[in-house]
Amino acid sequence: MHGMHRRDVLKLAGAAGVAATGPWWRVGRSQAQRAKKLVFWHLPNFTPLADQLQKEQVYEFAAKHAGLKESEVEYAVVAGEQANAKLAASIEAGNPPDVIRLYESNVQFYGAQGHLIDLTDQVNKMRREPKGIFESSMAAVLYKGRALGVPLAVNPWPVHARLDLLEQAKVEYPKTWDEFIEVSKKIQSPPRLFAFGMCLGLVEDTTDNVMNLLWCYGGKMVESDNKTVVMNSAANVAGVKTIEAMFKTHKIIPQGAISWDNSGNNKAYQSRQAAFVMNPSSIYAYLDSNDKDLQKKTGLFPVPAGPKGTVNQIDTWSYGAFKKNPYPDIAKGLIEYFMQPANYDRIIQSTGGRWVPVYKRLFDSPFWREKPEFKHFINMAETGVPVSYAGSPTAAAGEVLNTHVIPKMIQRVLVDNWEAAKALEECDKRINEIYARHNKA
Amino acid sequence: MALSAGQPDALREELLVRAPATARRPRHSATLRQEAWLAYGLLTPTLLVIVFLVAYPFASAIYLSLQDKMVGAPGRFVALDNYLDLLRDEVFLRTAWNSVLYTAVAIALKFVLGLTMALVLDQERRVNNFFRTLLFVPWAVPVVIVALNWRWIFDDLSGLLNNFLITFHLTSDIISWLSDPRLAMGCVIAVVVWSGTPFYSMTFLAGLQAIPKELYEAAEIDGASVVQQFFFVTVPRLRTIFLTTVMLSTIWTATNLQFVLILTRGGPASRTEIFPHLAYTTALGARRLGMGAAVSLVFFPLLVVLIVVLTRRMLRQADE
Amino acid sequence: MPRTRSGSRRLLKWIGNVLLVLLLVWTLVPFYWMIVTSLKPDREIYGFEATLYPHQPTLAGYARVFTTTPFLKYVRNSAIIAGANTLASLLFGCLGAYALARLRFPGRALIARGLVVSYLVPPALLFIPLFAVLSVLRLIDTHQGLILTYFSFSVPFSTWLLMGYFHSVPLELEEAALVDGCGRLGTLFRIILPMSLPALAVVAFFAFTQSWNEFLYANVFVNSVEVRTITTGLTLFIVEDVFFWGPMMGAAFLSALPPLVVYLIFQRWVVKGLTLGAVKG
Repeated sequence: MHGMHRRDVLKLAGAAGVAATGPWWRVGRSQAQRAKKLVFWHLPNFTPLADQLQKEQVYEFAAKHAGLKESEVEYAVVAGEQANAKLAASIEAGNPPDVIRLYESNVQFYGAQGHLIDLTDQVNKMRREPKGIFESSMAAVLYKGRALGVPLAVNPWPVHARLDLLEQAKVEYPKTWDEFIEVSKKIQSPPRLFAFGMCLGLVEDTTDNVMNLLWCYGGKMVESDNKTVVMNSAANVAGVKTIEAMFKTHKIIPQGAISWDNSGNNKAYQSRQAAFVMNPSSIYAYLDSNDKDLQKKTGLFPVPAGPKGTVNQIDTWSYGAFKKNPYPDIAKGLIEYFMQPANYDRIIQSTGGRWVPVYKRLFDSPFWREKPEFKHFINMAETGVPVSYAGSPTAAAGEVLNTHVIPKMIQRVLVDNWEAAKALEECDKRINEIYARHNKA
Repeated sequence: MALSAGQPDALREELLVRAPATARRPRHSATLRQEAWLAYGLLTPTLLVIVFLVAYPFASAIYLSLQDKMVGAPGRFVALDNYLDLLRDEVFLRTAWNSVLYTAVAIALKFVLGLTMALVLDQERRVNNFFRTLLFVPWAVPVVIVALNWRWIFDDLSGLLNNFLITFHLTSDIISWLSDPRLAMGCVIAVVVWSGTPFYSMTFLAGLQAIPKELYEAAEIDGASVVQQFFFVTVPRLRTIFLTTVMLSTIWTATNLQFVLILTRGGPASRTEIFPHLAYTTALGARRLGMGAAVSLVFFPLLVVLIVVLTRRMLRQADE
Repeated sequence: MPRTRSGSRRLLKWIGNVLLVLLLVWTLVPFYWMIVTSLKPDREIYGFEATLYPHQPTLAGYARVFTTTPFLKYVRNSAIIAGANTLASLLFGCLGAYALARLRFPGRALIARGLVVSYLVPPALLFIPLFAVLSVLRLIDTHQGLILTYFSFSVPFSTWLLMGYFHSVPLELEEAALVDGCGRLGTLFRIILPMSLPALAVVAFFAFTQSWNEFLYANVFVNSVEVRTITTGLTLFIVEDVFFWGPMMGAAFLSALPPLVVYLIFQRWVVKGLTLGAVKG
């Protein structure tokens, strides 16, 4: 290499510069065509069998009904806790998935921003099935009269209870929250076994657990007009005080619950460290595959009654299809394929009770009818309310859930030792801020 | 070949004087222009990176912070509203306090522990290299893994700490390390210290080993005790390294959110909330990008001071 | 207090040894727990039945990692990204450092300052706007996108580190080569680089380790399993399956090995690099 001349040097520098900009070329090309014709994001949730079946259905549909090659399908797994963040990122990027299972607040949030395809026709078709669907699921998918998601499961949140411990102590499942406290004290033996695995960490499950109890005391978060925030009410104060007593005075909740994530209460029940846990039946489904012994000892009950009765929670899952998709018909076709009763039922059964069918007729099948633990489910599905009760799961409600406003409130009481009323006042103010911001936009 | 703190001054000066190619100092403007072309050509990739991946994003962070922008929707200019909201927010004020406390305590502990480790390793001992390797290992392990590991150690019912304490009857009740508001911050800091101390020890040890033994011998002859030797010989020589290390570590400790994200998610009751974590949850959890940018920028003025001072130091060291 | 010089020296030694033992315990016990957990069967891991050492050690946890998780995919991705970043940092760093160390041109001091400032601006500040930048360029969820963001700290750092080293290479050899007709870049490749092998080793080490260990950008800019790196892939394990701590500790241990091994090989040069004032992120 005798003497590199200026020319060569410039060439080299040019090459280096060009190499550095290389990635941008790929970008240019990818904007022109998208190799994948169907992009499905899957949110796993402790039911591996259903996960597997669903994946098969995606590829089945692609091959047999949409005529796609396997390479044209993308099936991606996005963990639940990260799902919000990842979806947000992809939408900001302009490349959201084609089809994804959405939690109720996401349907409202992205629907309000105009990102979701109108699926009203599909939903109406489902309603025309014999016995139709649980209308309680519509609250989650309706936005300004149009269905922007297809409800696929209506999940009640029963109390998983250790029947063997109740039997041992010769007590019945408690009918009221007061009874619940007494029964808890009788059956628990801390620190190995706590009675009530109530989730109290800065995660979504806490909002669900706390609100569910408050509803039994007559409290709620917002009125059905989705504008009037009523967090700061006497009923809520009473409910929060009950939780406070459970944690501090009666000590029926483990202290570690304060830092649980969404799997904390699952883990507590499954490793026999908690006797009562309020959770969708994913725990029950897990036991069905992994711990038949504990499953036999588990009962599923509605929540105990407060002064204003028993109110149960349901949360509705839906499939949503994003507009930013060059192949919307394939996306709609996939959802329709999932919801065909034959395909749908297969998945429902494989979840072992985790997914409660949105088609009422499916409750007549032996799988549901023959299991005594599911006898309350149909009632819970009919009468259940979403976590945003009495409002619908709007974007504002979604932000309240995602930013853990209510867990922070309960931690004010349990950790900072604030008065319930003061904590609820702060909470009310924050929720008002959120609703005001969303209602203004 | 590499310059070190112990390089005699004369040679350093000589090299400084002779620094870029002076033997063939170009006289003609044509050759100067040639050199400039060549230089910029060679620097193109680096310049592209600095401009498009650092300078531009930084400027746009400032602009973002002046907007009310949610993910997926266009932004709306609101000037300083985000910042005003923050200053009125009680959680934010607590976050600010936590961030300062957390950083200060972690740095102090890392400093003391790091210096101790360095002094111990500086002592004459067989197989010292082996011990040094062992003690520096935490630094090479990804922070995420350290945090996950420690989360498991702190676990209420299955963790090492509680099991150890209960097995050996040191406590009868389980201790909720990460749920107890009095303990949570301490636990997080402990993990930060475990992970970051080796960095201090490494730089301090290098500095210690560069101090000529003759200085200690001279001091001893003068009648100085061990403690006096430490303060009058060791410390002055390490001052530069102390300052550089602490300043760098401050930037990294204050802006690292991995520990909090994995151990406590800011809880219990915002006891361990620090501003990089708050920025992250605001931008990606609440999906408010504008507010998230504001949260990260609020602390930037403090970091700017450090960055400016450090830049000058590090460039001076490189030139020397 | 001992009166004699040697007496106080012996006391110091003794204190030093005690401290050494304490520090070793403090440093190594977490590793013990990680490795031991990865070798225990499930029933020895959870709850109060958890054992302090494995009564029935098993490799089942490791098997689960490889058979039921995309761990190998994560490793592949981490390797691709770390490798690309290392190569680019070396290349761009050498070229840029040569310019800054050996050439005269307007803006030299400013650029040098810009390097250090770029390296010091924290990722916790840049991730939000970088997210917007990558979105517009459609580079979210791609290898290229993530590698680009890694350039933002790796390239300035490498350039600056090498600049310092190149400064210290004596000029006589270069001058001789130039006189012989070897062009500028010729001196770079034939004279300076061979003499700066320790520096190149340090740059490679830092670029590799920083990329392998990086979490924030990998978490924000990448979603799908196909592109995920180890650091963010690991955190998924405990969410999907409630009882995954055993295998996860196994995966964690395996993931910590590459940077550890690299560190063990390069430690001599790394410490030298640190002495120069260059430090890790």
